[in-house]
Amino acid sequence: MANPYQPIEAQILKTIDETPTIRTFVLKPEQDVPFLAGQFVELTVPGHGEAPFTPSSSHFERETIEVTIMKVGRATTALFGLKAGDSVGIRGPYGQRYPLESFEGKDIYLVGGGVGLAPLRSLFLSLVHEIDKYRRVFLRYGARTPEEIVYKYLIPQWEKLKKVDIDLSVDVGDKSWVRKVGVVTCLMDDIPCDETSSIAVVCGPPVMMKFVTFKLVDAGFKPENIYLSMETNMSCGLGQCGHCRLGPYFTCKDGPVLTWEQIKDIPEPFV
Amino acid sequence: MLDIREGVSSFSILVKLHFLPNSKRDRWLNVLLDQSEVYFPQILESQVHWQRLQAGGLREGDGGPEWGLEHIRASEPIKSFFFSPRERVASFPEKLEPGETGRRILFGVKNCDLLPLKVHEQMFLQGDFKDTFYEARLRNTLFIAADCPEPADTCFCNLVGRRPFAEAEADIVLTVLEDGYLLEPLSDEGEESVRTGGDAIQPATEFQAAKRAEKRRAADSKLAKINPKPWADGLAQRIWDRSGEDGFWGKHAASCVECFGCLMTCPTCYCFLLYDKARAEGMDRSKVWDACYMAAYARVGGGANPRSEFLKRFVNRFQCKFTHFKNAHGFYACSGCGRCYRACMGKIDIRDVLGEV
Ligand SMILES: Cc1cc2nc3c(=O)[nH]c(=O)nc-3n(C[C@H](O)[C@H](O)[C@H](O)COP(=O)(O)OP(=O)(O)OC[C@H]3O[C@@H](n4cnc5c(N)ncnc54)[C@H](O)[C@@H]3O)c2cc1C
Ligand code: SF4
Ligand code: SF4
Ligand code: FES
Repeated sequence: MANPYQPIEAQILKTIDETPTIRTFVLKPEQDVPFLAGQFVELTVPGHGEAPFTPSSSHFERETIEVTIMKVGRATTALFGLKAGDSVGIRGPYGQRYPLESFEGKDIYLVGGGVGLAPLRSLFLSLVHEIDKYRRVFLRYGARTPEEIVYKYLIPQWEKLKKVDIDLSVDVGDKSWVRKVGVVTCLMDDIPCDETSSIAVVCGPPVMMKFVTFKLVDAGFKPENIYLSMETNMSCGLGQCGHCRLGPYFTCKDGPVLTWEQIKDIPEPFV
Repeated sequence: MLDIREGVSSFSILVKLHFLPNSKRDRWLNVLLDQSEVYFPQILESQVHWQRLQAGGLREGDGGPEWGLEHIRASEPIKSFFFSPRERVASFPEKLEPGETGRRILFGVKNCDLLPLKVHEQMFLQGDFKDTFYEARLRNTLFIAADCPEPADTCFCNLVGRRPFAEAEADIVLTVLEDGYLLEPLSDEGEESVRTGGDAIQPATEFQAAKRAEKRRAADSKLAKINPKPWADGLAQRIWDRSGEDGFWGKHAASCVECFGCLMTCPTCYCFLLYDKARAEGMDRSKVWDACYMAAYARVGGGANPRSEFLKRFVNRFQCKFTHFKNAHGFYACSGCGRCYRACMGKIDIRDVLGEV
């Protein structure tokens, strides 16, 4: 029986600077880590700790796993000190996947904020990989400044994909910025899909998640169709250690994506 | 062995009872010691502590250890035997797997230390991922429970729906009589272990069985006197519904000095943290006991904290044990052992909170 706390080795093949504080790491684990969109992994920065991250690559890509990470503290800062050729540890996949079969035939409305586009990218790429199964895919993304937009080099290609509709905003623009200025909810004033049957998926900082959720509910999305990526503190990722408790849930085991229906009665679910 | 019908006229259960006379106790213990490490409750300065039994140390009284089989639970929860306060569970880049574990016997476990095993079973063994370290030790342990004829005023196992003696969950349950020990095997391993006593262990008599029933009734009624009032129905929901009532929780939390003694001594608490320590090359990972009262427990990367105020952490503990665990698994994650009250510098009695909520 395997030791659930033991990571395997993954080599960093390449790093991509997305913004001054966000970097994508392309990893090659020594064995397949067969995640599905929505699930997460635990990355070990040897000697500096372990932290949970949702892969940002498509789950149809099996050779490598990409994770897009913001530098915020101890483990992530140490990770930014590593370069191609270095090794990290990886455990997983953990948590629940998106129930993609119930998304079929529907409009899917993705809303991301800041580094929150990283986990959504995994879902987005997995959706467009089989785009014929879905009605349309909308992506609404907000960052603080144009410089802080992740995947700048990919978004123009994504905008050309069939059945895909993308809109972006920044809180503070600059001379070259020609799109909307304002927090991401400013992109949600008219939602071009049928709110009563469509699926919404949200990932971003807690305040953003809160206001986007309220806006979606006001717009008529059903609570059970609003999927929220809940990033609580986590230690084990296995449903054992207690750290990720959110009301009756352990987000590592029952989530990390929970629906608004599941969490709406929990006092202050977004912190 | 004697098959005895025990109980009142409306229903009766078949129990298999054996008797081990005092004079032959050490013969059986020596057999057990040959096969296993044996741990027993020893009285040290009027507290009970788990001690390893040494082959030469069987003699009671003069120079020998004083056994506390009839005392309440030991100060330490038995979880430390399976889920150590700190244990190395992984390393990098080389991999670590659980090592061999020796066979152990816990001789004299109280019923309130058996319930925590069910809690940990749910957390560590029933999910998609098993704690293989925990499992190896648990499966290699024989549990000999001992009745509690003298519940203490800190005891409240009756309030969580249990009794001061084991009826299941152990391998053998033992009752101390004046001239020896009554043994009731509750599992196949228990039966097997009793058999190893050979002719030192005899069938019990009707009289001895009646004695046990009488002692148990007396213990039940002592507990009923200590804790006469059951919690009102709907405790789990009331705790959840009142979670925002700072006045109520604040009154009970007022004397807390945040020493976390209650959680560190609690037999059901299962929280842990995986803690990595750098080596010259790579790292070692330990699994260490953690406590949800600690300020950084729920803090996320970057510093935000959903339970930065202590009162939220105080309420969270009650929700965890009495609301969420109960709703998920059908029983409270509290065995009524009273250790948290004993450990509390602020003298917070968990019963006051639960009785009033
Ligand atoms: C499911 C999930 C998916 C996520 N996906 C992403 C993603 O795709 N991209 C991204 O950028 N972020 C993601 N995050 C957030 C990411 O996990 C955090 O930013 C990360 O944990 C920060 O780690 P840190 O050590 O750098 O930060 P810190 O602020 O230093 O630490 C974060 C927490 O870890 C604990 N901790 C830190 N050091 C220690 C120690 N020595 N001992 C004990 N505990 C310690 C503390 O509780 C601390 O509050 C995700 C989070 C979750 C839950
Ligand atoms: S709480 Fe009950 S089982 Fe535990 S020591 Fe007290 S009387 Fe015995
Ligand atoms: S909460 Fe208190 S009484 Fe209940 S099991 Fe824990 S230490 Fe014992
Ligand atoms: S992170 Fe350990 S239980 Fe969820």
